[in-house]
Amino acid sequence: MMDFGYSEEGRQASLGDLQLWRRILGFSAPYKVGLIVAVVISLFITWATLTLPYLVQTAIDGSITASQLPNVERLAGLTGNALLYGAIIVGVFFATFCQILVLEWVGQWVMHGLRQSLFNHLLSLDLPFFNTRRTGQLVTRLTNDIQNMNEMFTSVIVTLFNEFLRLMGILVLLFWMNPRLAALMAIFVPIALLITIFFAQLARECFRTIRSQLAKLNSFLSETLSGIGILQLFGRQEATRHIFEDLSAGYLQRTLSQIRLFGTFMPLTEFLSSAAVALILWYGGGEVLQKRLTLGELVAFISYMRLFFQPLRELSQKYSVVQSAMASAERIFQLLDTKSTIAQSQTPGTMPDIQGHLEFRHLRFGYEPDNPVLHDISFTLRPGQTVALVGTTGSGKTTLVNLLLRFYDPQEGRILIDGRDIATLQLKKLRTLVGVILQDVFILQDTLLANIVMDTGCGREQVEAILTRTSMDRFVRKLPHGLDTPIGDGGTELSTGEKQLLSFARVLCRNPAILVLDEATAAIDTESENILEQAIADSFHGRTSLVIAHRLSTIRRADHIIVMAHGRIVEQGSHEELLNRGGHYALLVAMDLQNGN
Amino acid sequence: MKTNTSRTDSQETTRRIPFAQLRHLILPSFRHHRLRILGGLAALILVDFLQLIIPRFIKQGVDALEALTVTPSGLLRLAGIIVFIAVLVVFLRFAWRYLIIGFSRLLEQRVRNQIFTHILKLDAQFFEKRTTGDLMAHFSNDLAAVQMACGMGVVAAVDALVMSLAAIGFMIAIHPLLTLLALLPMPFLAVATRILSSKLHKRFATVQEEFSELTEFSRSNLISIGLIKAYTMEDFQAGRFDRLGKRYVRSNLRVAFIQGLITPLATLVGSTGMLMVLYFGGSLVIEKTITLGDFVAFITYLYMLIWPMMAIGWVANLVQRGLTSLDRIYGLVTSRSALPDPVTEIAPEQLAQPGFQLSHLTFGYPSSSNPVLSDLTLNLGPGMHGVTGRTGSGKSTLCRLLVRLYPLADGMLHFGGLEVNHLPLAFLRSHIGYVSQEPVLFSDTIAANIALGLPDAKREDVIKAAANAAIHEDILALKNGYDTLIGERGVKLSGGQRQRLALARALLCDRPVLIIDDGLSAVDVATEHEVFAGLKRHFQGKTVVIVSNRIKLLSMTDHIIILADGAVQSEGNHEHLLATNSLYQSMFAKQMQQDTHPAVALP
Repeated sequence: MMDFGYSEEGRQASLGDLQLWRRILGFSAPYKVGLIVAVVISLFITWATLTLPYLVQTAIDGSITASQLPNVERLAGLTGNALLYGAIIVGVFFATFCQILVLEWVGQWVMHGLRQSLFNHLLSLDLPFFNTRRTGQLVTRLTNDIQNMNEMFTSVIVTLFNEFLRLMGILVLLFWMNPRLAALMAIFVPIALLITIFFAQLARECFRTIRSQLAKLNSFLSETLSGIGILQLFGRQEATRHIFEDLSAGYLQRTLSQIRLFGTFMPLTEFLSSAAVALILWYGGGEVLQKRLTLGELVAFISYMRLFFQPLRELSQKYSVVQSAMASAERIFQLLDTKSTIAQSQTPGTMPDIQGHLEFRHLRFGYEPDNPVLHDISFTLRPGQTVALVGTTGSGKTTLVNLLLRFYDPQEGRILIDGRDIATLQLKKLRTLVGVILQDVFILQDTLLANIVMDTGCGREQVEAILTRTSMDRFVRKLPHGLDTPIGDGGTELSTGEKQLLSFARVLCRNPAILVLDEATAAIDTESENILEQAIADSFHGRTSLVIAHRLSTIRRADHIIVMAHGRIVEQGSHEELLNRGGHYALLVAMDLQNGN
Repeated sequence: MKTNTSRTDSQETTRRIPFAQLRHLILPSFRHHRLRILGGLAALILVDFLQLIIPRFIKQGVDALEALTVTPSGLLRLAGIIVFIAVLVVFLRFAWRYLIIGFSRLLEQRVRNQIFTHILKLDAQFFEKRTTGDLMAHFSNDLAAVQMACGMGVVAAVDALVMSLAAIGFMIAIHPLLTLLALLPMPFLAVATRILSSKLHKRFATVQEEFSELTEFSRSNLISIGLIKAYTMEDFQAGRFDRLGKRYVRSNLRVAFIQGLITPLATLVGSTGMLMVLYFGGSLVIEKTITLGDFVAFITYLYMLIWPMMAIGWVANLVQRGLTSLDRIYGLVTSRSALPDPVTEIAPEQLAQPGFQLSHLTFGYPSSSNPVLSDLTLNLGPGMHGVTGRTGSGKSTLCRLLVRLYPLADGMLHFGGLEVNHLPLAFLRSHIGYVSQEPVLFSDTIAANIALGLPDAKREDVIKAAANAAIHEDILALKNGYDTLIGERGVKLSGGQRQRLALARALLCDRPVLIIDDGLSAVDVATEHEVFAGLKRHFQGKTVVIVSNRIKLLSMTDHIIILADGAVQSEGNHEHLLATNSLYQSMFAKQMQQDTHPAVALP
């Protein structure tokens, strides 16, 4: 649990993982036309880049140094070469532009598809999954990891392809011009590759330590910033500053060692390039002296050599990008392969005319299997009945709701709606049948109306009708623009009570057969409280309702009260019965069930 | 996020702070490391010159080959010289990289620590205006921009300048007119890079903004996954995510459009220069004005010029971005806390009994025009004071004022008989234990969290504080007990546990004043009752201020203050208020149902 954060970076995806490549390509299949276009452009660019020095060479040999020809003819030849040269460079310009756009287009849409399926997949996973994962990590999968893969599509695939092609092209050309000189040059390839791979490995480790230190620094910073008031009040500024400076110094040391590493390796390719030129000058010059090579060819060789090292440099730079993209891809696919442990019923299963009969039968459950929080819970709600669950914090009331919504599956026992096991219902169907009003509410950055309606397709009139019927319109009227008031970040801030009212309205819009209310424990302003009380009275009438109750008024409205303690039902009955019994319930009431005013 | 970037943009167009002031942030680093910088620059310039010399030797070789005046051993000597120079270049390159880029990291660290040290001194008012994310951006983006400008920016600027001057010089030496022709397209590249990269910067800012929207959307959805599922919002949210994602794709394509222009443009301009040299230079060779060796060397110099020309546009952007960031950092480190923090020594005997006297205290947050508290006159001396009132009546604000998170005018608040504005903050705060409404815990062990105010506290004292806050049992139930890590990467605690931990922290400090801002609202009533009943003895002679809406708790205090709309509506003890105050009566009626619990009604 504790080493969750950084262990992921240590994982290595091998470049030769064919299965991974196949999956990546699978996602790009719909865009194969784009990819083919990019490859064709690539071929053109490679051809063009190689032709340019060749044109210079023919100009030198055929015109500039051809002293045996009349000057006019030499100039005409030169002009011809120059015109062709001009045409090609303009062509390269447009081709490169198109290639970058096409690849970005493909890459972005592929990533969009991947991001979308990952998001959908995550939303379909069960709660136990989310309990074991940190949200930040999952968000990183959706954002940074996908971004990483996009890098690969746009810059890397094109560079790898272009540069590799160019490298091969240059080698072929060199061999065609002078095989012996070319063979001599070819020994630079394995040397450069070895240096590159060695460097890439060192660099990756180096970046990993830098990233992990930066992550530590940033999380310390964000924690300090959000708790700064407390730190100041407890006089911890100096100690905090020392920790930060230590982290900062650690970061500095790591960046400096990265600079040393790059400082050692970056000049090496340059050195190889100069060494190659020296080799050509010495060996090639000798060939020229022995008339086995023309001077123009020698000059061309020198120019090609410069072109030759550029792709090598590029390849070494992209090597680490590909590595990290592959690692990202592996993490993404791993997540996509995670299956929900809550088995989803495949058959839609029709449930006509829900009566609202709800039965909990011998439930036993623990978030950790050997640490049960519910022991053999059984009770029944008849259609239209209101049952209140009462008990101290940790008695298992909320867990019961979690099981009813199938956020978790019980280790033993079943929950039945109209006699049918909820495990045989589709999750979506179940969650529309059971409407829950939770203490917390997910607020969209939108108007109140949009927040109530969401995707139910309810019209404005319907919403207004529901609100009027439950008297919740009073709450809406208090807001500056009524139903059109923007809420959420940047809009009107809702109080705890108002949030619960919104949650209520949202659920009523969906008209569920069974209502579940988790009453707010936190203080609620009197105004909201009064509205809420009336809304509860109106909407619970004639509907099967289960309430985790904290307010006496709510409890007294219930037909039946179930008192829970330590995951067991300890008492049940009506308010008066239980009070007269003088047991747990009477004590709870005496201890003051609620805390709002 | 939106407001954040708009602020950024507006600052970018209107920089107000002159560089003469901004440089105070970075100048000390430059001065301190001047030898390092000089050494690095010397190495850099030397590399440039050595690189320029190599083509001279190539030219020598080619010319000699053409004239057939060279022997194989002569060629070998030339090759040897080139290799020797290349080795030298390797060492010098390492030197400048380590010296100059290393310097930029040293500078970055210095500025980072400077910002952090300053931020620790700022008051709540400042943190209300700036979100954590906003401040984090200063540490990441702005520092990175400054570091880049002072590191790679300096290198690129010097390198480009030296290289272009030297290359142009050599070219002019060969043939001035040809030089002019070859350079004709270059200024165009510099201008185009400049224009395009500033456009790119703007479009990229949009991409980043949308990226963080995407991130925030994912985060908020995943963190509330239970709610999403409970309301079957999956498809609905997926649709919204899809829209955000599509917009993000489009913005990326807009960036790609510019990027797609910049890269090939450099190649095009370089090649155009080459075309000029090929045609005109070739003609000159035919006319025997220059030698073939000159021609080849010319081409080599031209290649060398492409990078400096691109760099000029790039450097200009880098410097501008660095300055903008420096400007923002400057604004941060020069922002002053609105709280006076006098540096006077206060002798313990100067302080009368620790407690607060409020006289006509009026306070409003800078963000709103209405005062939250108005004309409050109270005496909060030793004893237990309960504060209650509806949401928004000013209870929390009162607590935050007492612990000096916000500035107040003189004469409104006295502590132990002394004007608070004349007391050093650290001195005042060392007398107060505080439990906030939202408990703030840090990623550390439980013991360290409890011992926040007393880092050297003995374990048994920590345990005693925890036991008093009724959290000891809960802690023992955890696998590593008091050494369990909590927070982001550790064990998650429930709201009630977090609150009790925060209480234990305040109890451990055992300071003369304790302020609890509704700090046990998520703890069940029975536990809360138990905690306070147990502490009552402990509180003897201390000033305790407890904000709560629970009658049960309030009835245990000596003095209850009822706030309404920022003013004292009523004060007195439980019986007094029960007899006189209607709000208190209605709270009581709701919470106490006299038929069920007569014992509390008449304590």
